[in-house]
Amino acid sequence: MKEKEYKVMSGNSAIARGFYEAGGSVASSFPGSPTVEIMHTLNTGYPDIYSEFSVNEKVALEVGIGASFTGARTLVSMKHVGMNIAADPLMTFTQTKINGGFLLVSGDDPGMLSSQNEQDNRIFGKFAKMPILDPSDSQEAKDFVKFGLKISENYNRPFMLRITSRLCHSRSKVMLEEREDKEISGFNGELKDYGMLPPNTFDKQYVMKEQLEKLSADAGDFEINKYEKSDSSDTLIITSGIMYQNLKELELDVSIYKLGMIYPLPIDKLKEISRKYKKVSVIEEMMPFIEDELKINGIDCQGKEFFNFTGELNTEDIELGLKEAGVVETAKLKVSQVQDDVTARIPMFCAGCPHRPVFDILKKAKAEVIGDIGCYTMALLPPLKVLNCSISMGASIGIMKGMSKAYEKKGDKKPLVAVIGDGTFYHSGMPGLLNLLHQMDPDYNMTLLILDNGLTAMTGGQPTGSTGRYGEKYDMNVNIEGLIKEIGFDRVVSLDQFKYKEASKTINEELKHDGLSIIITTRPCALNFKIKETPFYVDPKVCIGCRTCVKTNCPPIAMREYKGIDDLKSFINTDMCVGCSVCAQVCPVGAIKKVKEGKDE
Amino acid sequence: MSNYNIVVGGVGGQGLILTTHIICQAALKKGYEVKSNDVVGLAQRGGMVWGTVKIGEKIYSPNILPGEGNILIGMELLEAYRWKSTVKKGGLIILNDYQIPPVPVIAEQEEYPPNIIDEFSKDYNVISLNAIKESLKIGTEKVANIMILGILAQNMDIDKEIWLDTIKENVPEKYTKENIEAFEYGYNYQ
Repeated sequence: MKEKEYKVMSGNSAIARGFYEAGGSVASSFPGSPTVEIMHTLNTGYPDIYSEFSVNEKVALEVGIGASFTGARTLVSMKHVGMNIAADPLMTFTQTKINGGFLLVSGDDPGMLSSQNEQDNRIFGKFAKMPILDPSDSQEAKDFVKFGLKISENYNRPFMLRITSRLCHSRSKVMLEEREDKEISGFNGELKDYGMLPPNTFDKQYVMKEQLEKLSADAGDFEINKYEKSDSSDTLIITSGIMYQNLKELELDVSIYKLGMIYPLPIDKLKEISRKYKKVSVIEEMMPFIEDELKINGIDCQGKEFFNFTGELNTEDIELGLKEAGVVETAKLKVSQVQDDVTARIPMFCAGCPHRPVFDILKKAKAEVIGDIGCYTMALLPPLKVLNCSISMGASIGIMKGMSKAYEKKGDKKPLVAVIGDGTFYHSGMPGLLNLLHQMDPDYNMTLLILDNGLTAMTGGQPTGSTGRYGEKYDMNVNIEGLIKEIGFDRVVSLDQFKYKEASKTINEELKHDGLSIIITTRPCALNFKIKETPFYVDPKVCIGCRTCVKTNCPPIAMREYKGIDDLKSFINTDMCVGCSVCAQVCPVGAIKKVKEGKDE
Repeated sequence: MSNYNIVVGGVGGQGLILTTHIICQAALKKGYEVKSNDVVGLAQRGGMVWGTVKIGEKIYSPNILPGEGNILIGMELLEAYRWKSTVKKGGLIILNDYQIPPVPVIAEQEEYPPNIIDEFSKDYNVISLNAIKESLKIGTEKVANIMILGILAQNMDIDKEIWLDTIKENVPEKYTKENIEAFEYGYNYQ
């Protein structure tokens, strides 16, 4: 027999591997941390599988629905907030029969390591009447994908795999297995199961209810729900996901019921078990989801009164909560990890980033800008602080319209500016733009900047409708300017923001124009397209120390001392400089020069 | 078998994920149980990134308990300083003696903390070198992290051959020679 092969894998990679082993055929996603690596891994490592980054999460889900209907085992992954976009098809899809096993992967982000909110998508699972699996390490992530796809077919329901940032980005040992052969049957279902209009939907309400009840009854025997019994303890802890691993670190003498499926719960089984214990504690991150389910079903337990409702629950947090709950006598572990007194390191635009000159120009123009989601959201942060709000993908254009209408009512037509990236524009900005045409005041001064850097940069550089400009391997090459003009906007201009003076002149003119102007900036992402030109250096004898270059907030530029010169002068770390020339263009005295032109520092 | 709780701190874009990945793969090959965890919110945008690698016989959580680290790898000085309390007094700190100024320093609102290495030396065993400078001598600063791994390898019970194999499997082929040279430099660095 062949020796077993093991690999250390991240949760995300293990999910991709599980899908491969399960005989998965079609996968789709929209990039968003913490789940990006799932589809990236399928894209780059598993050519047997069709995978795509779709235009948005709703489209990704629809692609998945079509594939499942046709009999392919299907996986659709997204960041937690992506579920909000995908919710419309989801809420009706869960009424239908599937055909090929279907798994919706939701990457939740307790503690908001890289997200604009902390929504708990287990609620979505229950809301959509969708069973939820919750793995605790990479091996389980892989196993649960395979189990989920099979059980999805057995019960004829889409299943959800709920994961968290920590699971996605942590690594542990995974055993590799062969790929299963799964034939694709084709779509030949009956209309009553797939045509979701009344009266077909009436019966579906009962079907969904019965299936969930059956799952709840069967779940007590699922291997993924594990009862670890201690004979000497009067406490039962019910938990799931990575909290199980964090809890085990404490090596407590307690009984544990580890849920692999957190909805529906094996209620009868849990009733029977919990009767034997004086105390039942629930450990879960964010909302009291499991706790509420238990309480609704008459199981007496405690949970959120002792554990924080926001953020992650690490081992030390669990110990502290268990102490307050009276399960352990003392909390021995230290709690704080970061030294708050150490200088903060907030993210900044990369060297050569095409957003830098745009926000430098907007800052100098003292514009207050409505933001959107992407790298450019960082213009909220110091020292730029150019954005005055940011909500969700594609929201900037609608918000600008709403503000304009409110200002009209106020009798004060304050000029408005909004920014949106190309990926976000395609994702969900386009409906907002179209909606601007409706009841538009043609004289209201609004400026929309579309920052077309050619891809979804924030999540590591996934293709958008614009990426085709930069290479033949990308097949979408949308002409945004042409598209916008065709919709019915006439004042549209494209510009090269690295021609700083011209760009500044154009942007400042448009900011003053009474009416709607749309500006498209065209420079690509410097990081993902690996742009590297001859670097620049500062001639300290010419530099007047005005800091105009430093204020563009570029990683290689800072003030420093030079030998024989009293005042601080600007300095460029030439190893980091990629030669975009923006600093040289803003310098009022010509102190910043290309390395090859002048003498090296 | 030994237990290792390794904390790695760095700046987004420095290559932290590949570094912790290589440590994990090498530990697995040696027969250890291993779990790791990378915290990479805005990874490529020059923000702070950090990771943990736990190596031993039986491991549950990928997180290292506060103050229970025994090795800290600082890929940048300030980021090492940020995580020093995660490591037990007397533990080992491996430092890339290299500074990337953060925004408050660039904006001249705060000073880059001075004398970090001296301060570390009071409570920890410190091995430091400017891996960027030494790597440029080899030909590319891209091999700096592998040089740091060479120093780590000196201090761990994992065979040198395992490290070399793991590195070869994980770095771009055209830089294999430079990476091996960097590893050897770190492995023999005193």
